[in-house]
Amino acid sequence: MSFIEFKNICKKYENAERNSVTDFNLTIEEKEFIAFVGPSGCGKSTTLRMVAGFEEITSGDLFIDGKRVNEVAPKDRGIAMVFQNYALYPHMTVEKNIGYGLRNMKVPEAEVQKKVDWAIRILGLEEFRTRKPKNLSGGQRQRVALGRAIVKNQKLFLMDEPLSNLDAKLRVSMRNEISKLHRELGTTTIYVTHDQVEAMTMADRIVIMKDGVVQQAGAPMELYEHPVNKFVAGFIGSPQMNFYNVTVDGSELRFSDGSTIRLPAEVVARLGGKTGQMIMGIRGEDIKLDSASLKKYEADQQRAVVENAEVMGNENNLYYTYGGSLTVARVSKYEVSMIGDEIRFVFLPEKMHFFDKDTEKRI
Amino acid sequence: MLTKKQKGINWVLTAILLVLSLFFLFPVVWMLANSFKPDAAITADMNTVAAFIPPMPGGGFFENYISILTNTNFLRYMVNTLFYAAILIVCGVVVNGLAGYALAKIHFPFRERWVLLILLLQIVPMETILTIHFLMIAKVGLLNTVVGYILPMIVNPFNIFLFRQVFMNLPDDVYEAAQLDFCSPLKYFFTMVLPMSKTVVATVSVFTFLNVWNDYLWPSLVFTSSNLLTAQIGLNSITSNENTTMGQTLAVITMVTIPVIIIYSLFSKQIVEGVTSTGSKEG
Repeated sequence: MSFIEFKNICKKYENAERNSVTDFNLTIEEKEFIAFVGPSGCGKSTTLRMVAGFEEITSGDLFIDGKRVNEVAPKDRGIAMVFQNYALYPHMTVEKNIGYGLRNMKVPEAEVQKKVDWAIRILGLEEFRTRKPKNLSGGQRQRVALGRAIVKNQKLFLMDEPLSNLDAKLRVSMRNEISKLHRELGTTTIYVTHDQVEAMTMADRIVIMKDGVVQQAGAPMELYEHPVNKFVAGFIGSPQMNFYNVTVDGSELRFSDGSTIRLPAEVVARLGGKTGQMIMGIRGEDIKLDSASLKKYEADQQRAVVENAEVMGNENNLYYTYGGSLTVARVSKYEVSMIGDEIRFVFLPEKMHFFDKDTEKRI
Repeated sequence: MLTKKQKGINWVLTAILLVLSLFFLFPVVWMLANSFKPDAAITADMNTVAAFIPPMPGGGFFENYISILTNTNFLRYMVNTLFYAAILIVCGVVVNGLAGYALAKIHFPFRERWVLLILLLQIVPMETILTIHFLMIAKVGLLNTVVGYILPMIVNPFNIFLFRQVFMNLPDDVYEAAQLDFCSPLKYFFTMVLPMSKTVVATVSVFTFLNVWNDYLWPSLVFTSSNLLTAQIGLNSITSNENTTMGQTLAVITMVTIPVIIIYSLFSKQIVEGVTSTGSKEG
């Protein structure tokens, strides 16, 4: 049996018109790092809070370590949690915050001290141990919250958008610290975030949710390369995937503005004979401006005028209108184009994704 | 940066407030100065500036105070009142605090109606409630006992409301974190909620102390034994005694007034913070 098992979990709040979480099924293995991602209101935090025991499960069964825990109190579920707003005890010092749970568990004082010292050391909080939370920075507070979670040796960590209050630079370093901690401790972790970059860089598997329903669960690259629907394709990846309303007629792909390109035989085969109107998606990095690609797909070269250019340092994002949609091409920093420049580009046909126009499911 | 005109206005306002505060201070200064004088000196100084100047310290300086403290039970009444206030502060914070917490954080049917009901209780005149309290205490045989005096005073609708307003702003995730730290609800209340709400605890404590210290009606109804009387009743019985001199009367009044002034001076910040944080004021 898996370490955590969600079986047809539903959550409906009193007086709500629809479910916040609908028919959630998932298994999580021991030591896995799972990220729940999705836009605000998709049900990811609600699901996490049902695991913690802070929200009642309307229907379905939740198993942790083989035991049904629907009615088990939060403290008896063997979990530790890191909250979005840290939830530190404001009147206690760093070391008291970290050791509070252990003292309540009646762990001998010497053992408490040892564990608190260990957590303070590995989280680099030595010089702040006697400070109260109000005298700490956001990053330091988050580390105290992590310390409070790790000292209790619980079998499951729950993290509810723990980095969302930190600035961009600190988020990157804390991301690394959490990943490192997970590697060292090997504790099963469920991590909720709306930031797909966090999910992609930290998780073994990602669960993407929308309107309370799981859209896709899988390894980060699986989601990136093989999204099951347009929502997943658009949610994962930055800049967002380009989408076009197209008509496929044999090996001809026609955009809504009348532009056409030829599809290679393997792409036509992938479509399994489907023709007609559909949505074509392609990522910015799969639109090529380099001479080798232009030469390779010479017959399908397209032209457009750059409307905006984002210089990222390591790469450039070029924005232009093509095929009736605003398109972004992600090019290397050496391919410099200015606003107003006419560019030639090609789509990598093997990297095209096709979605049903009505259901938006992958074809 | 204040302009020259604004600075000028500030100076004028300060001067007006100073003059006004002197008007309020005059009776206090007069009382304090004359509490050290024999009656003859009080009468002699009555219509002069000397009425506001205490005598030079020397023999007999504390005569009025010493005679009150040695010849009457006033010291005992003061100690009694402090004792009642201490018990009522502890019980009041616990009981009203728990009620306020329940109304702020625990979801139960008709919760908002309960809050409204508690607020409505404040409209009922205290004298009406005291009559009911008196009848109940008399019926259970607790008249002339400390328990009979304290029990009806513990629950205070205003304090419940005060606690509720402050507790409503406490973050829920701290409670959830405490739950995962094996903290029971009651332990959470005492080790987290109260320390996180020091200001309102201080405010309620001060209000309770002042209520007890200044209360005359309820103790005069409950107590008949002179051993249990409070400072206000002691003040009344001493000052209405025809053998008490004017100087002694002023000494007693000074002793009753000073704790109130000290408490206000020490906790004025908490009182203002506590009341303003609720968007309400003591009715």
